[in-house]
Amino acid sequence: MSEKNKEPGVLGNLYKTFFAKHWPVWVGAIVLGILNILLFAIKSPWGASGGINNWGENVYKLIGIFGLESATATSTSFYGMLCIFLVIGSFIGALLSKEFALRIPPKGELIKGFIGGGLMAIGATFGIGCSIGSFYSGVPALSGGAIIFTIGMFIGVILALRYLMWEMEKFPKFSSGKSYNFLSGTGKSGNWQIYLGWIVLIITFIIAYKYSGGNKIMAWFIIIGMFMGLISQRSRFCIVKAFRDPFMTGDADGSVGVMAGLVISVFGFTAIKYFGIGAGDLAVRAREMTWVFPHFFFRAAIGGFIFGLGMTVAGGCAVGTLWRVGEGQVKLWASALGFLLISPISKLYIVPPIVKVIPQNFNFKNYLPDYLGYTGAVGLVLFIILIWYMFVKWNEKTGRFSAF
Amino acid sequence: MENKIDQTLDCKGLSCPMPMMKLAKAMKGLKSEEILEMLGTDPGTKSDLPRWCEKSGNEIIEEGELEGGIFRFLIKKK
Repeated sequence: MSEKNKEPGVLGNLYKTFFAKHWPVWVGAIVLGILNILLFAIKSPWGASGGINNWGENVYKLIGIFGLESATATSTSFYGMLCIFLVIGSFIGALLSKEFALRIPPKGELIKGFIGGGLMAIGATFGIGCSIGSFYSGVPALSGGAIIFTIGMFIGVILALRYLMWEMEKFPKFSSGKSYNFLSGTGKSGNWQIYLGWIVLIITFIIAYKYSGGNKIMAWFIIIGMFMGLISQRSRFCIVKAFRDPFMTGDADGSVGVMAGLVISVFGFTAIKYFGIGAGDLAVRAREMTWVFPHFFFRAAIGGFIFGLGMTVAGGCAVGTLWRVGEGQVKLWASALGFLLISPISKLYIVPPIVKVIPQNFNFKNYLPDYLGYTGAVGLVLFIILIWYMFVKWNEKTGRFSAF
Repeated sequence: MENKIDQTLDCKGLSCPMPMMKLAKAMKGLKSEEILEMLGTDPGTKSDLPRWCEKSGNEIIEEGELEGGIFRFLIKKK
């Protein structure tokens, strides 16, 4: 009888802490930073475009086109599996908080999702990495090209945001019209989401356990991927939000969150590289050069720019797309589809002929500590983050660069 | 007690950033003390909107969930 007014117990309160409300972005970003360090310690840092590309290659392998017969099966690809379990982790997070629903947007939004995903694929091929590999992991990896990629991405975001605002002004019908919402978890009748969430969580652990006998690293990638998805969903972690919102509503929370994650990762990655942690049979130099790609200068700049355009039009960066897929946002399903279908094509046909004519400097080793020492490289990265922090906070207060 | 709604903004089915962009634009067009009703389905808006209102000075006067996973906000312009 008194069931209704019953205070939640210790475990009930713990559950509410995680699933009743969204987490502050900075909390999510710091935990993601720690998981990223863990991934690096086990094998190599977080990345998303490689995994999505693996999905695409397997689709074409199945159809039997583009000669991709030798593509790694997703079940044996670390990053392919990391991305799958990121989606599943977000699905679990959305179910446990009763936030899952199939949200089908107006047609124009689906088109934008697909085009945005395709642009992200091309950008990631150019830049040898996406918003994660060439930014969220690349900058802490002390890669000079990652900083260039970031600047390119920043310019792409601003330009695409201007387009979105123009479109909203001139063609408001493109983003309005019939939309549908299925399987939502409103009220008590939506409690099936919580039960299903627990079931999927248990299945994930069983799959990881199955892998743990023959492939321990994969078992860790599955668990970490799942937690990355769950945490991203709960904290709404999104790189495009971090770059876009100061110029849209002026909100700096997304940016500050991403910065917090970057700072944690900078220290963790530097320790791994400096001491050669986890180098195993590899040379320490190979460990140092992990996630430092040969994309300096134009490849990184062009890649970042195209990626920035794509993620803003799609409304989700590489990881933002994946966790929104798990939450049931069908626009981002279109984006993921565009990403995975275009990525192998861009690797085989679109990017190589252009890369041939782009001047590249292979003498520049692209690893900042080679030129600035570890102290100088870490200091430079932290200094850039500090300037970015001061800018977004000042802008939030004054609204100087915000559209609204 | 019933609040008089001056404009309704339907953002159902839309995902980030469209709901916040449309909301900010719609609020710009309202006069002080006028009330906007916003309907949406993007979970992100549920945390973005209160934060934006707090910073912009607009006031959320009602907040609730409707059937079918749709949330509804009533916002009074500063």
